Amino acid sequence: MTQRVTQVRRPRPGQHALPREFIAQHQRARIVAALAEETVDKGYRAVTVADVVRRAGIARNTFYENFSSKEDCFLAAYEFAVEEAMRRVVEAGSELESWPARVNAGLAAFLSYVASEPALAHTCVVEALSAGPAAVERRERSIQEFVPLFRLGRKVSPQGENLPPTLEEQIVGGLFWILYQRIVSGKVEEIESLRPELVEFALSPYIGSEAAKRSAAEAPAAPTAG
Amino acid sequence: MDEYPPELARLPPGRHGLPREFVAHNQRERLIAGIAEAIAENGYSGTTIAHITRAAAVSRRTFYEHFPSKDDCFVAAYEAVMAELQERVSEAFDAEDEWPEAIKAGIAAMLDFLASEPNLARLCMVEALVAGPVVVERYDAAIQSFVPYFREGREGRSPEVLSRLSPTTEEALVGGMVSLISRRIIAGKTAKLRELLPDLVEFTLTPYLGSAAASKVAKQS
Repeated sequence: MTQRVTQVRRPRPGQHALPREFIAQHQRARIVAALAEETVDKGYRAVTVADVVRRAGIARNTFYENFSSKEDCFLAAYEFAVEEAMRRVVEAGSELESWPARVNAGLAAFLSYVASEPALAHTCVVEALSAGPAAVERRERSIQEFVPLFRLGRKVSPQGENLPPTLEEQIVGGLFWILYQRIVSGKVEEIESLRPELVEFALSPYIGSEAAKRSAAEAPAAPTAG
Repeated sequence: MDEYPPELARLPPGRHGLPREFVAHNQRERLIAGIAEAIAENGYSGTTIAHITRAAAVSRRTFYEHFPSKDDCFVAAYEAVMAELQERVSEAFDAEDEWPEAIKAGIAAMLDFLASEPNLARLCMVEALVAGPVVVERYDAAIQSFVPYFREGREGRSPEVLSRLSPTTEEALVGGMVSLISRRIIAGKTAKLRELLPDLVEFTLTPYLGSAAASKVAKQS
C-alpha cells in the first residue's frame, strides 16, 4: 500500500459494498493514522482512546475490535511505518547493481517517505521514546533491521571484515539521531536536503570519503514506478 | 569499584550529629541515589514514591520537602548523573595533548563510568528516553554537549579533509555512539561496555584521520 496513511479517508455513508477484509484493513490504517495525528498534537502520553476514536470517526467498539489498547495501536503504527519504509528502501535499490548506488537510492526513498508522513515519522522516531518500554524496545529493534543493508558494504570495502564489528549499528544509530534531531526541532522539511551528507556519512567507512562524496553527489536513481 | 559520585553517596543509617543543612543536602542526595535504584528495579513508569523513599531510607514527608513529584526527582537525578559523566569525560579529554588520544580517553572515561554504575547508566541512557517529555530536552542537550569534542578534530586539518566533512558529521558520530551504548545497556551488557572502545574510537576518528590512522589509534593499548 503506497497510500499516504494520514490521507486515508472514511468512506461516505452507504458506501459499504466493499469486501470485509478490505474494510478491516482500511479501518486499521485509519485508526493508526488517527493515533499518529493525535500524538503529534498532544504528545503520546496525553492521547486517550477516546481521542483516537473521535479523530478516526469510528465507534469505540471498532477500536477494540482492532487493538487491545492504546499501546497496542501504537506498536501497530510503528510496525506499519517500519514495514513501509523498508519496502520502499528495498524497492528503490532493487534494480541497481552497485552497492553505493543502492544506499543512495535507498536513503533517498527513506527520507522522502519520512518527509511525506510527518505525523507518522514524529510518532515513531520521537514519541516512541515516551511510549513505554515496549515501544523503546521496538524502536531499538527497528534500528537493527536496517543493519544488514549496510553490512553488504563490507563486500565492496577493501577492509571487509576488518571493519569494526559494530560499524553498521553506529551508522544506523547516527542516521536515526540526525533524523530525530530534525524532527524534534520541527525541521522535517530539511530532511530530504540532507541526503548527500547522510549518504556520504554512511558510505565513507566502506569506500573512503572521496568515493563516498562522489556517490553522494550523484542524483539517486528514481524508484521504478508501481 | 569506582567511588560513588559525591552527590549520590549515601549517609550511613542511624543517628548522626550533623548540621541540619548538611543533613538536608544529604537527604536530597540519598533521594537521588534512591530513585536510580528504584528505577533499575521497577522501570521508570513502575516506580512509585514509596519505592524511592524505601531505597533512600527517608520518609515520604522528607521526599516531598525536596521534590514536588517523582518527575522532579528524576530530573534532579538525571542532571546529577549527566553532570558527573560530563565532568569525567572532560577531565579525561583535557589530560591528553593530542586530539585523537583525547577523544579515545574521553570515550573510555564515559564507558568506564557507565560500566561501573549500572543503575546510573540505565537512568541516563535508557530511562531518560522512557521518561519522555520529562527530560527529553535535557537529554537532547546532554547528547549534543559531546559534539564540540569532535568538532575540535577539524582544527588544523587539510582543506581536502575539511571539504569532506559535512555540517552534520559530528552530530551523526555522537548519535551513532550513544545509540550503540544505549542498545548495549538495554541488552543487559552494561558491564561489558568497555569492549566497545576500539569500535567507537575507530568509527569516530575515521572521518578526520582516515581509516588506517583511526584504526591504529583505536587498537593501541
